[in-house]
Amino acid sequence: MDTKTTAARAENAFKVYGSGDTEVRALDGINITFAAGEYTAIMGPSGSGKSTLMHCMAGLDTLTDGEAYIGDQALSTLSERKLTLLRRDNIGFIFQTFNLIPTLSAGENITLPLTLAGREPDQEWINEVITTVGLADRIDHRPNELSGGQQQRVAVSRALATRPSIIFADEPTGNLDSVTGNEILSFMRKAVDDYGQTIVMVTHDPSAASYADRVVFLVDGRIVDELTDPTPDTVIDRMKTLGG
Amino acid sequence: MFRLTLKNLLDKKIRFALTTLAVVASVAMVVGVFAMTDSLRSSFEGLAEDIAGSSDLSVRSVQDLGDEFDRKPVDEGVAGVVETVDGVQLVTPVVSSFNDVVVIDREGNAIRPSGPPALGFSWLPDQFFLINGGAEPSAPDEFAVDVETAAKNNLIVGEIYNIDGPLRQEPFRLVGIFRFGSPERHSGLGQTMAAFELETARDFFGLEGVYNELSLTVTAGTDIASVQQAVQQAVGPGLEVVTAEAIREETADDFNSVISIFNNVLLAFAFIIVFVATFIINNTFQIVVSQRIRELGLLRAIGATGRQISRSVYLEALLVGVFSTVVGIGLGVLLGNGLRELLNVMGFSLPSGPIELRPRTVIWAAAIGIGVTMLSSIVPARRARTIAPIAAIHSDQRLAGASLTRRLYLGGAMAATGAILLGLGLFAASTTRSVLTLVALGAVLVFIGTNTLSPSFARPAAMIIGKPLTLFGISCTIARGNAARSPRRTASTAGALMIGLALVGMAGVVGSSLTKTFLTTLDNSVEADYFIQSTSAGFDPSVTFSEEVVEEIRALPEFESVVRYRFSQGSLLINGDTQDIFTADLAEVELHLDADIERGSLTNADPVNGIAVHRDKADDLGLTIGSPVEVTFPDGQTDTLTVEAVFLDNSLFGNWLVDNVVWERHFTRTGVSFASATVTGFSDDLPEDQQQELLAKAAAAIEPVTKHFPTVIAENRVEFRQSQQDQLNSFLAVIFVLLALSLVIALIGIANTLALSVFERTREIGLLRAVGMTRRQLRRAIRWESVIIAVFGALLGLILGVVFGVAAAIAIPDSLINTASVPYGQLLSYVVVAAFAGIVAAILPARRASRLNVLDAISHE
Ligand SMILES: Nc1ncnc2c1ncn2[C@@H]1O[C@H](COP(=O)(O)OP(=O)(O)OP(=O)(O)O)[C@@H](O)[C@H]1O
Ligand SMILES: [Mg+2]
Repeated sequence: MDTKTTAARAENAFKVYGSGDTEVRALDGINITFAAGEYTAIMGPSGSGKSTLMHCMAGLDTLTDGEAYIGDQALSTLSERKLTLLRRDNIGFIFQTFNLIPTLSAGENITLPLTLAGREPDQEWINEVITTVGLADRIDHRPNELSGGQQQRVAVSRALATRPSIIFADEPTGNLDSVTGNEILSFMRKAVDDYGQTIVMVTHDPSAASYADRVVFLVDGRIVDELTDPTPDTVIDRMKTLGG
Repeated sequence: MFRLTLKNLLDKKIRFALTTLAVVASVAMVVGVFAMTDSLRSSFEGLAEDIAGSSDLSVRSVQDLGDEFDRKPVDEGVAGVVETVDGVQLVTPVVSSFNDVVVIDREGNAIRPSGPPALGFSWLPDQFFLINGGAEPSAPDEFAVDVETAAKNNLIVGEIYNIDGPLRQEPFRLVGIFRFGSPERHSGLGQTMAAFELETARDFFGLEGVYNELSLTVTAGTDIASVQQAVQQAVGPGLEVVTAEAIREETADDFNSVISIFNNVLLAFAFIIVFVATFIINNTFQIVVSQRIRELGLLRAIGATGRQISRSVYLEALLVGVFSTVVGIGLGVLLGNGLRELLNVMGFSLPSGPIELRPRTVIWAAAIGIGVTMLSSIVPARRARTIAPIAAIHSDQRLAGASLTRRLYLGGAMAATGAILLGLGLFAASTTRSVLTLVALGAVLVFIGTNTLSPSFARPAAMIIGKPLTLFGISCTIARGNAARSPRRTASTAGALMIGLALVGMAGVVGSSLTKTFLTTLDNSVEADYFIQSTSAGFDPSVTFSEEVVEEIRALPEFESVVRYRFSQGSLLINGDTQDIFTADLAEVELHLDADIERGSLTNADPVNGIAVHRDKADDLGLTIGSPVEVTFPDGQTDTLTVEAVFLDNSLFGNWLVDNVVWERHFTRTGVSFASATVTGFSDDLPEDQQQELLAKAAAAIEPVTKHFPTVIAENRVEFRQSQQDQLNSFLAVIFVLLALSLVIALIGIANTLALSVFERTREIGLLRAVGMTRRQLRRAIRWESVIIAVFGALLGLILGVVFGVAAAIAIPDSLINTASVPYGQLLSYVVVAAFAGIVAAILPARRASRLNVLDAISHE
């Protein structure tokens, strides 16, 4: 691990919703590091805090206690505007659904963070991404003219467009059939292997998790286990012992 | 269902507020107009009562033609005849002079209200009541004045004031201050009243040997009707005997007809606001139904009938309507006061009295407030009814709307019908009422038709308008996409603005055409170098100045000749039709004005028996030089005049022109409406500096005259041109201010739509923010979307406005407008204003959008 730089990390992260009787500890003292070029899957039962962790790491939400870092940058010290710019330039996002702006074409959606920044897109890179995900002939279509799988491919392309230091994907294949889902997962794998992209992905699906370099298991806002070089079977085994 | 609707309304407080705002504004406007004009009406009814006075009967000349102030006086001998009639106790001769008796204060300023008249009277013992122990005017150099005028202008008893009369200026000593109407309360609505001893008044007003009328009291216990009959018998035909009650009614009718015009003009503006509001409410309901489509689908799925669904929409409309009516009535009463203040600021002088809320007003308010909302909800409610239960499951379900082709046919048919009605109204209708009805109906249809059509081209239009914006970055690209994404919504939001701008554009075209016609006439047909008119002239024929002014200018060597003009509306009867008349000093007028004489001559015309006529009228009646024309005047006399000239330009003299001699023979009114003068030695061929020198000399020479007579102003060509243009512009400004209200409502509509759109796009906004759009960029995107919608509405409106305006310019008689002129620069500035207005409308929705919590927005359902 020491040989690799850190893309993001959380230190003693707490996130508490409500107070008193209704208090929920969505994150209950999380320490985790995401190394650059590493593909991490996060698993855990519903309500275990996976999404909360992603949101807090990505600057969409704030921690109640502890600190989240993107690179060396502590998020709690940033203003709202700085956070927005950080998201725009250094973080990629893929949600389960509704990833695209309906009024913009696929191509415009892909370059959106760049155009928001007023930056000229690196056309060669964009073309490469688009070709890789197989969208070349769909680039001028509006999202409503694309299938769910195609829409997610656009979302992946957008996440890759700025070459962010880290991409957070919250159940990116949760809404897709397994064939289409596997395509998307392969692209993400390829982005890690070929371009050294860092990805953190939440999933409920053991076979999706097996695309990652390691799997982190969350229960009740705590990291309870970790698995490197997972296969679907090892993931299922581990889930059984945890769920047991 | 009721509880659900209510809960739904209360849940969306902002939406509710925005929807009601437009209705509240319409109701308030209508209530304000009625309340204000009702209060005017009451004030004037009081005045009419006081004018009728406490006498029982009046004897006066019969009048069939012309204005009340042109009624022929009664011969003084009649007084003696009436006195001898049984049952007549007292005969009071009355003389008065309408709007041409103006007191000049110590500083040399004319005390002339703008609007209400400046009146002169003989002392009326039963209507004028002295205060503070002053005296009645009894000597030839004394006068009294009403308490309001005295107080406003610091007139002091004992001081000597110059008074401009219809014939001359004369100094009088102020001896008393009186209340009019009752000893306790002066019945004043802004008019100034100067009273003189009877013989003095007759002399000063130029009423030798006559009285305006005789006021009679009947011996106590006698039957008024029988005395009336007896007096009528005694005075014979040509004179009439009327009761005080009849005079009161007559006066009240006169006032009412003026107030009604006022009321109707204001109501027209209120109607525009109501119309605009209807657009907005309809649009809001439409959007709201489409936003609730899943929820309504779910209701359907669990067993609500389509009828129940549409009923819930109607119910929501009803609640909005009732609420808005109540609030609108309250605000309307306040607005009534505000409206009066606004009009006063703009130069009217309206009497202040308590604002009145009559039952009729409340009924109107309810009809409009509830009617408009219910009407606006019909289409959305019917759409809601057709929502299928499946809508609960499919998130991208859209409301079925009329198909594009149906829209094209329907909208096209409506717009075409509207255009035909407009055309009929402008070019074929004869009575004012039918013109107004057809034009209003036509315009409404054109607007609705255009609005039905506009969604079919709103998308490309928004794309084109937004095209240049895309250079400014992604926010603008997103704005453009948003403006284009729901063409129906964009179109109906823009529709509200369209109406206001169509009217503004039309007023702009008509105004510019008027100016252009006036300036062309001034440049091409006017040879005179100086123009003399009353300070508050306008186009009121009763506002005149005395002949003495003309005489003083004639005496100046710097001026070569002076021509007097008078005019009167609808006071001639020629060939069975009432006609307007103009007068001039025919012998000299050709040196001053060029009316494009086709045949004959004015200079050589016989002033005593001659008449000049416009070519169109001459052709209509088959007149040529030498033809006899029978002309009946307001004094009941008929002269046979001879056509001496036929002219082609009716912008100067209308259709009929006679010499002042003819006027003096038939009108008691001696004041002059307007005068023009030529400067001695002045010619356009002279070098510029010599021209300036002559003009400077003329100005210096005429200054003492205007100082002496502060009721008049004298202007050279350049000044006259400017002041006429200013007058027109201030008139247009009044129209624009009244239309501004409808624009404000249209803005509320834009803000409303944007707010609803922002709400609808919450997730999208969350996503944009998540991938790095800054708040500022987001605000910019919403702002530019608003600008695109506003500019779209403005362009639509201005295109319609230009078409309307040009049509109106063509329809308006040539004497007022003979060329249509489109003020492009001005119209462009309206587009810019609309764009700015769009920015303003976007402020709140943009702020709301930018403050959304990113995470909440993303997970928004
Ligand atoms: N805004 C909120 N207010 C209160 N509690 C919240 C809020 N958001 C999340 N929680 C709670 O925090 C806990 C963690 O939620 P989170 O969404 O992170 O779970 P998750 O692991 O992503 O679940 P899933 O697999 O269902 O997506 C849950 O108990 C949830 O109820
Ligand atoms: Mg989750």
